[in-house]
Amino acid sequence: MNVDPITFAVIKSGLDSIADDMAYTVVRIARSEIVKDVMDFSAALCAADGQMVAQAKTIAQHLGAIPEAMDSVLAKYGDDLHDGDVVIMNDPYHGGMHLPDIFMFVPLFYEGKRRAFAVVICHHTDVGGRVPGSNASDSTEIYQEGLRIPPLKLYDRGKLNETLEALIKINVRVPDRVWGDLSAQFAAAQVGKRGLIKLLQRYGSGEVEAYMQELLDYAERLTKAEIRQWPKGTYRFTDHIDNDGFSEKPIPINVAITVRDDGTLLVDYTGSSPQVKGALNSTLSFTHSLTYLSVRCVLGRDVPNNVGVFRCIDVKAPEASVLNPVMPAPCAARALTGYRVFDTMLGALAQIVPDRVPAAGEGGNSVICISGLRANRKPFIIVDMICGAWGGRPDKDGLEAVTNASQNLSNMPVEVMEAEHPVRVEEYSFVPDSCGAGRWRGGIGVRRSYRILAPEALLQMRTDRVLFRPYGLAGGGPGGPSRNAMVRDGETRSLPGKITMNVEQDTVIIHDQAGGGGFGDPFTRDVSLILEDIRDGKITPDYAREQHGVVLTLDGALDQPASDSLRRVKSSASRVGAAHGA
Amino acid sequence: MAREQSAVRVAVDVGGTFTDIVVMTSDGILHESKVSTTPDDPSRGVVDGLAALLAELGIATSNVAEVLHGTTVGSNTILQRAGARTGLITTRGFRDVLEIGRIRMPDMFDLTWDKPKPLVPRRHRLEVTERIAADGTIIHPLSEADVIAAAEQLIADGIETIALCFLNSYRNAAHEKQAEALLNSRFPDLPVTASYAVLPEMKEYERTSTTVVNAYLLTAMRGYLRKLEHRLDEVGIAAPILVMTSNGGMLAARAARELPVMVVASGPAGGVIGAARLGAARGDKDIIVFDMGGTTAKAVIIEDGRPSMTSEYEFRDGMSTSSRFIKAGGYMLKVPAIDIAEVGAGGGSLAGIDAGGLLKVGPESAGAAPGPACYGLGNSRPTVTDANVVLGILNPSALAGGRLVIDRKLAERAIKEHVATPLGLSVEDAAHGIRAVANAAMARAIRAVTVERGRDPRDLALMAFGGNGGIHSVDVARQLGVRTIIIPPLAGVFSAVGMLAADVEHTALVTVMRPLGDLTLQDLSGIMERLRAEVADRLSADGYGADRTELVWQAELRHEGQATELPVPFSAGGDIIAEITRDFVAEYLKTYGYNDQTPLELVKVKITGRGLRESRLDFKEMKIDQRSSAARAGHRVVSFARGAPAVETPIVTRAAIGAAERAGPLIVEEFDATIVVPPQASIRRDGMGNLIVKLEGST
Repeated sequence: MNVDPITFAVIKSGLDSIADDMAYTVVRIARSEIVKDVMDFSAALCAADGQMVAQAKTIAQHLGAIPEAMDSVLAKYGDDLHDGDVVIMNDPYHGGMHLPDIFMFVPLFYEGKRRAFAVVICHHTDVGGRVPGSNASDSTEIYQEGLRIPPLKLYDRGKLNETLEALIKINVRVPDRVWGDLSAQFAAAQVGKRGLIKLLQRYGSGEVEAYMQELLDYAERLTKAEIRQWPKGTYRFTDHIDNDGFSEKPIPINVAITVRDDGTLLVDYTGSSPQVKGALNSTLSFTHSLTYLSVRCVLGRDVPNNVGVFRCIDVKAPEASVLNPVMPAPCAARALTGYRVFDTMLGALAQIVPDRVPAAGEGGNSVICISGLRANRKPFIIVDMICGAWGGRPDKDGLEAVTNASQNLSNMPVEVMEAEHPVRVEEYSFVPDSCGAGRWRGGIGVRRSYRILAPEALLQMRTDRVLFRPYGLAGGGPGGPSRNAMVRDGETRSLPGKITMNVEQDTVIIHDQAGGGGFGDPFTRDVSLILEDIRDGKITPDYAREQHGVVLTLDGALDQPASDSLRRVKSSASRVGAAHGA
Repeated sequence: MAREQSAVRVAVDVGGTFTDIVVMTSDGILHESKVSTTPDDPSRGVVDGLAALLAELGIATSNVAEVLHGTTVGSNTILQRAGARTGLITTRGFRDVLEIGRIRMPDMFDLTWDKPKPLVPRRHRLEVTERIAADGTIIHPLSEADVIAAAEQLIADGIETIALCFLNSYRNAAHEKQAEALLNSRFPDLPVTASYAVLPEMKEYERTSTTVVNAYLLTAMRGYLRKLEHRLDEVGIAAPILVMTSNGGMLAARAARELPVMVVASGPAGGVIGAARLGAARGDKDIIVFDMGGTTAKAVIIEDGRPSMTSEYEFRDGMSTSSRFIKAGGYMLKVPAIDIAEVGAGGGSLAGIDAGGLLKVGPESAGAAPGPACYGLGNSRPTVTDANVVLGILNPSALAGGRLVIDRKLAERAIKEHVATPLGLSVEDAAHGIRAVANAAMARAIRAVTVERGRDPRDLALMAFGGNGGIHSVDVARQLGVRTIIIPPLAGVFSAVGMLAADVEHTALVTVMRPLGDLTLQDLSGIMERLRAEVADRLSADGYGADRTELVWQAELRHEGQATELPVPFSAGGDIIAEITRDFVAEYLKTYGYNDQTPLELVKVKITGRGLRESRLDFKEMKIDQRSSAARAGHRVVSFARGAPAVETPIVTRAAIGAAERAGPLIVEEFDATIVVPPQASIRRDGMGNLIVKLEGST
């Protein structure tokens, strides 16, 4: 087509900004903290044929799952989609991810014809099932995890499906919140529709539709051009999830990326763990999503993230594996597996484009879910998500207190949590020395601790990287491990990474998240950076001596001679160790 | 009337390079002046320039009734990280809230992103024992010993100002007040900013960050305003100073001293308010505002007559924009502000070649001193202004009405040495290159407020001002497909002109946070009475009695459980609850496309009190005493485009442009600005004195 550069730029940004306006609408009118504060939701626009063309700056992990979810909607309804229809779906075995993530698809009509779809996905606080939050890692089949919704019309030509409404409301623990958040999704789609119609009126339907397709082709061209520059070959990497909470058995994620001559990739997960008993199983759509976004992270900044990128990546995941489970495997805690797919992909990509890939980050947000009854018997559910630290990078330190790059989560303000729920947060701060050492250190991890104020509560923790710490690269050390503990009557007891248990009033629950891995030889780190970190209390003098061979005098100044000689000794020892250890 | 017949109003806008001064005499005539900014102490330039202009006009300094002021002290202090060494005292367990922030990243998939360093490093963030619950109950009393110990440690570390932010203080500020009083009595010279006084709202990060920015700016702003008052006093001006706020209102200096966070984006606001008012007077409701000065260029969009506003924004290097739901990558200021995109490209922006051999322009600026190379004041590196001088676009011998003598040869030498020779180009081509790079940066700022929000700039007119607005607007407009450019009178000092059109504003709000159904009319009138009294007091302190104020009420409501509100204006009197319920429901349906059945919650009641200034500028009646430019009508050779031959171009004054279109090439030289009309463009003058440039090549 004849592409006018300004029209192309305006339509591209116009679609992106419609998606952003949709996302902004969700934030403004959602009811639960996990959506309005933590921002676990996403918004996108798809072309009339269902191909995703634009997305808001929201949860990256959701976006690559949209194509398969859309397929299942189109497979069911085909042309039986009309103005005023609203389709919802949450079933992992219909292209969904896990039950709390309810997808909403709204076909957008203009001048009597379907022009696009608005898609909004929200993580709902609860969708029923055996535990509050519907997010437990210790369920053993999907039927325990809550209400399964195959693609169904919530509105049919503008008319509410009251049967479905009643069924949802009676099956969830906090119907007001769930319905409020569904309303937010609905409103976001209306805002998307209004924006799209403006764009169609300004440029004409044919023009906009043609540019939508051009956007996909453009992304595909950019992606292929870049992959063609990469060294051909097959690159492998393995990382692990600690375990599924039922057995001690580590869960390996294996990948082999083949860079092909035509500018496409084959990503093969053969050798990854079979599907597991606990709820860590990642649906194929989610595995696809994480694969796409991992590749997207090492492409140039200007490449739009849409189906055009996805076209360049073929994914193979063996059936009945943890990355492509079969019914009735539970999936609620699948996000953790997604994070490990991301870490594994980056480990392999580091061999292809070593100057673009950081060491491993914290390993994904931790989920701390606290629920129960208030003193007045009204239920409460807190789904808190904790982020995060990046690994050290080829030319700079890893970030700390930051979302995992495969998400774009926020945090729940302490004051919001305390105003809405019977808990008090006692600490939200950095954990010194939790960074992986390196020439460029990893980010340090964060701690969050909660005092339970309700008479009693059910605690669920989905945390990881207790045993398999975030890896370092190019000689950098691993990030500090994650830790959980509870304090009761002055006594501290450590807790495992994954647990569901009852806790009494006044118990304090403490979670330390892992720090990021280091990049490069720690003994070559600039001493002034080490001293700055000591002054800021981010690392201790002991850590500096141990990890970097930097020694301080009694008054806290650098002991240059002692440091020089210790660095020499330690650095040659580590070289010998590395030669033997490999 | 207390004020004398001959009272004059003064507006002064201090930019990074020039200080613009406009005096409005009682007959409504505007008089202008433009002097170099004095960066070591900007108040010197302000007062010397003002005194000189008044003397020239034969006006006694005692006749000055009001000094309106726009200042970049706030934004420059953050940009240059030149604020006070600030310490932060927090609730135990929460010293890292400032650095943790809201976690998100501004762009997805970017593994190279850098989170900005906090304004207070961890070593200067200390914790004290105290705790207040979400309902305001005191859980642990404040340890005064901790507060003293923390302050002593910080002072020993060279800290100059302290920010205080305790958890849940929005609900109960007792501990913050106690700590503040303690610090004030023990360390009377140590400025303290407590969060309850800056932003008494829920969400600890937003409140902490806003409080810290305020503390960080406190000494710079206080010092500056004190000096300004002192210098004005020395020349016999005792009039009140009003400072332009980030959202386009005016704030008494006494308040701005304590709340510098309100005036961080003071500088550009005057021009935006002026542009909105001037646009309305012309009947243009949708405009792109383009303000290019010596140091930066700013872009704002005006829609339906109103500048785009934001309730919180993030200040960041490179380009500052509103945060909406992004919340990452800048210093969060939760204060109302005009939604401005700003880039470091102005007339004084330095050009050079970077390590990779790429031509770069800005954000570093030669400022007012030494200024561009052609000033001959010691800078030998080329600037955008030097490029314009070399090409003949700017007058090659003098600027600012002949007050500033320049040397074209110095501009040539600078470009040759630093750009042309290293790149193997002619001086003329290199000068075009410098212009092109600067133009691209400015187009990016305009894109940020138009294209990136899905608004097509081709549908809008561009209103260009600032000393360099008329010089670059045609090239920038062409990049964006804009066809009409409006250049207001006094374009070079328009930000100062705009302030004369702004109102004195005070706002007060109460967080109610109660179900609307539980609220009686009596409750509401009690709340409103308190607010009305607070605003009336503040307005009367500024000299506005009840007869000269206008009150605007606003309720902010939401459905139970939501995070954000929709504002609904209402009028005092009648069944207010019924009125706001009806209006909210209608607005909600309009905004979100559905009606929600859940109960309503009244979150805030807000009042804005405007002091009606006696002679607020009305653009329809604007009268100008235009200074003459240095140029005599004549010709000079101008190179408009790279590769095209330079052409003999007529140089004219604004008076020479009439209602009939006149084709380019043409250059209009004024005292304060130069307006370039290249070939394939035409210019005319409208009834209000605006110059209208039309670009050919598009319909």
